[in-house]
Amino acid sequence: MPMPTPKSPSLSTLPRINRWLLALVAATVLCLAVFAANNLLGDVRSGNAWGLSYGAAAAILVLISAAYGVRRRTMRLATRLGAGSARVWLPVHTLTGALFLLLVLMHSGFRLPEGWVTWGLWLLSFWTVASGLLGLALQRWIPRRLTSALTMEVHYDRIAELVEETRSRAEAVAGDCGETVRGFYERRLARGFGQPRWRWRFFLDAGGGVQNRLRELDFLARRLAPEERGRLEELRRLRVSKSEIDAHYTLQRALRLWLYLHLPASMVLLALLAVHLFTVFYY
Amino acid sequence: MDKTGIKQSELHRDRWSSLDTQGGIVEVSERLGAAELEKIELFADYDRKFLDKISHDVSVATWEAGAVLFEQGTYIDLAFFVLSGEVEVWIEGGGEGGARPIFDLDRTQVAPVAPAERTGRDALGSTRLMKSATRVSDREITMLATMDFDLPREAGARLGPGEIFGEIGALSGWPQSVTARTASPCRLVQIRLPALRLMKRKSKALKERLDGLYRQRSLAAQLKNTPLFQACTDMFVEALKESVELVSLEPSEVLVREGETAGDLYVVRSGFVKLIQAFEQGEISVSYLSKGMTLGEVELMIDGIDGWQATAESVEYAELVRIPGETVRQMLESNPGLSEILWSSATERIREIGAARRHIPHSEFVQVALDNGLVQGSSILAIDLNRCTRCDDCVKACADTHGGRPRFVREGNRYQNLLIAKSCYHCRDPVCLVGCPTGAIHRAGVGEVVTIDEEICIGCSTCYRNCPYDAIVMWDTHEVWPADMVPQGLRGRERQAASKCDLCADTGHGPACVDNCPQGCPYRVASLEEFQALLDRRP
Repeated sequence: MPMPTPKSPSLSTLPRINRWLLALVAATVLCLAVFAANNLLGDVRSGNAWGLSYGAAAAILVLISAAYGVRRRTMRLATRLGAGSARVWLPVHTLTGALFLLLVLMHSGFRLPEGWVTWGLWLLSFWTVASGLLGLALQRWIPRRLTSALTMEVHYDRIAELVEETRSRAEAVAGDCGETVRGFYERRLARGFGQPRWRWRFFLDAGGGVQNRLRELDFLARRLAPEERGRLEELRRLRVSKSEIDAHYTLQRALRLWLYLHLPASMVLLALLAVHLFTVFYY
Repeated sequence: MDKTGIKQSELHRDRWSSLDTQGGIVEVSERLGAAELEKIELFADYDRKFLDKISHDVSVATWEAGAVLFEQGTYIDLAFFVLSGEVEVWIEGGGEGGARPIFDLDRTQVAPVAPAERTGRDALGSTRLMKSATRVSDREITMLATMDFDLPREAGARLGPGEIFGEIGALSGWPQSVTARTASPCRLVQIRLPALRLMKRKSKALKERLDGLYRQRSLAAQLKNTPLFQACTDMFVEALKESVELVSLEPSEVLVREGETAGDLYVVRSGFVKLIQAFEQGEISVSYLSKGMTLGEVELMIDGIDGWQATAESVEYAELVRIPGETVRQMLESNPGLSEILWSSATERIREIGAARRHIPHSEFVQVALDNGLVQGSSILAIDLNRCTRCDDCVKACADTHGGRPRFVREGNRYQNLLIAKSCYHCRDPVCLVGCPTGAIHRAGVGEVVTIDEEICIGCSTCYRNCPYDAIVMWDTHEVWPADMVPQGLRGRERQAASKCDLCADTGHGPACVDNCPQGCPYRVASLEEFQALLDRRP
C-alpha cells in the first residue's frame, strides 16, 4: 500500500511564527528590490530625497515597534480600547523592528555613518535589533527546556522562599540521621541546599546532571539500614527538587535579564532618534 | 457530656453559625442529642449511635412567618422537614415555567431569576440588601435557601407538618425550581447534605420515601424533557415513572461490573460515571458518562452481547435512573424513533472503547480529566508551558482589570505541556452556588457565567469551601460591617468577600488573561476535545 502523501500546509494552518517569518522575508526582499531599482536611477544618500524617504519609513517602523512596550504597560486601557491582542503585537513588534534596521541601512545607502549621533544611532539600531532577536530566541527555547526537562513548575518570585523551605526540610531530615549520613550531608549536600544558584549548564541540560552527581549518594544508600536509607532517599528527593529550582532560577532569570540588554538600549535609541530628527528638520 | 459529644457540639456550632446572619430566623437550636432526635418522626428508624454521628449536621430552626427559605433558581445543600407551621412553594412567572430538562446533555437548564429582576421581596417581610433595581438599603441582605417541585406555572402548594422538601435539589446538585417561604411561624428540621446522604443510605424506608417524592414531584416532567423519552406519549412516561428505579452512588462505587449479565438501561441524573475495562494485567478508563447520558444500550441493542462491556464506577456522588430491560423493549416497540437514538449512542460507545484500547495515552487523558474535574468545566484556563515565558502578564492583566486583585494564580495541576491554572473552571453544574445564603454568587441566566456580587457577599466562605478546584479566593476588604447592619449577625465583623474569575464579564471585552499574553499561551478550553487538540498540537 502506498504511503499517504502528506498535504502541504495551507497558509492558515502554518504555525503563526512561520507566517510572520514569511512576511518578514517577503518584506525584506521587496525592500531590497526597491533599493536596487532605486540605485539604478540614482545614488541613495541619507540627505537626498530617496534616503530621507527610507529614513522616514524607518522612523515610523521604530515607533510602531516601540508602541508594543506601551501596549504591555497599559494592559487595562489597551484591552478596553480593543487595541488588539498582545499575541499579534509581539510579532508586529519583531517584524517592524527587523525591517527598521534594514531601512536604516538603506537610509544611509549601506554606507558607514558620519558624526557621533548617527554612529550612535547606527550602533544602537544594531544592538537593539540583535538583542531583540536574542530575546525572541530565548523566549522560544527556554520555555521548552523548562517544560520538557523539569517536573516542577516554580514561580520566580517564590524561589527564595522555596529554597529556604527545601533547605530547612533537608536539615531536619539530616538531623534525624545517624552520624554517617549526617556527615555525608554536611560534606557533600549541604552546600547545594544554600542560595539559589545560577549555573550555565542548565542552558544545555535543564536537569543539570543532578542524577549523575548523586551517584555517590546511591552508593552510600545501598550500605545503610532500611530506615536510614529512607531518610537518605528523602534527602535525595529534596536535592533533586533544589536542582530543579536552580534550573528555574537560571532560566527564568535569563528571560528577565535579557530585557536589560534590550530595553535601555531601545530607550536611548528613541531619544537619539528624536535628537537626529530635530537636527535634520531644524537645521 | 463526653469528648465526642463536645466535639459534635463544636462541629454543630461551626456548621450552623452562618444561620445567625440569616434574616427571618427566630432561633436555631443547639445540637440535638440522639434522644431528642429520635422523637422526631423522620429519625425514628435510626439507632442512637447513628443519630449521634449525624447530629452536628442536623438543626431545628424557628422561622417567622413570611421568611424566604429559598428562591427559584438557587442552589442549596439542605433538606427541610416541617415540624410545625406551613410552608408555601410556588413557581415564579416568566419564561416557560414548569420543570425544565434536568437530563440535558450540556448543562442544567433551570434559569435562575437574575437578582436584580427578582420581584415581590417587599412583601416578604425580611430585611434585605439587594442589587440596584430592588435594593432598598445597603445595610440589608435577603437570605436565600432552596428545593425542587414539578408544579404548573404560577401554581403553588402548601406543605405542612411531616412533609419534607429541598432534598431533590440538595442530593442532585440542581437549582431549585420553586420559591419557598414560610406561610406561618414554622419550626423546621434542617438536614445538611452529608447527613441526608447517610440517612438515605441507611434507611430503606427513607430511600423509598424520598424516591416516592421524586417520582411524584419531578420525575415525569424531567423524563419528558430527556431526548430519549421525548418521542414517548405522556401516558407512557407516566407509566414509566412507576417502573424505574432511582439509584444513588457513593464516590467510587461500582454500578455494574464488566462481564456480569447486563439487561437494563441507566440514565445519569447527576454526577459522573467512568467506564473501565480490563487491560492486560490492569485496567484502563475507556470513557465516562455525564448528566443525560445512558449506559446499557450496547448490551441491549446488539444481539450476542449479554454481559456489561465495561465496569461503571461513580467518580463522585452520582444519581441515576435504572429502566428495566423489559420496559426498554416495550418502549422500542411502541416508539421506533427511540431505536435510532439508542443505536447512535451504542455506536459512539463502541467507537470510544475501541479508540481508548488502541490509543492508551487517550485512556490516561480520560483518567486525568475525571480526576481533575476537566469534564465539568466549560471554560478552563489552560496554559501552554512550551510557550509560556513565565512573565505573568496574564495575572497582571487580570489584576489590572479587577481593581488590582488577580482572580487566579498561575499554579495548578500540570498535564504534559499544559498547566491547568487555579482559575474558575466555569463548571456546567457549579457546586459553588450551593448554599450561598444571600445569592451573591449566582448565574444571571441559562448558560451564563457564574459571578459574585461583592455588594451582597457576606464573606461566609461557603462557595470557597464548596469549590473542588481551589478557584475561589477570600479577600479582606479592610472594612467592618456597620453597627446597624441587618442581619444582626454581621454587625461589627470584619468584612470579607469571595472573588473568582468571571471571564471579565461586564467589562466589554474577553478574558484579559488571554488577550494580554504576548506568547499566546493561555487558552480557554470548553471541552475535552479542545484539550486533546491542544495536547496533540506540535510545539
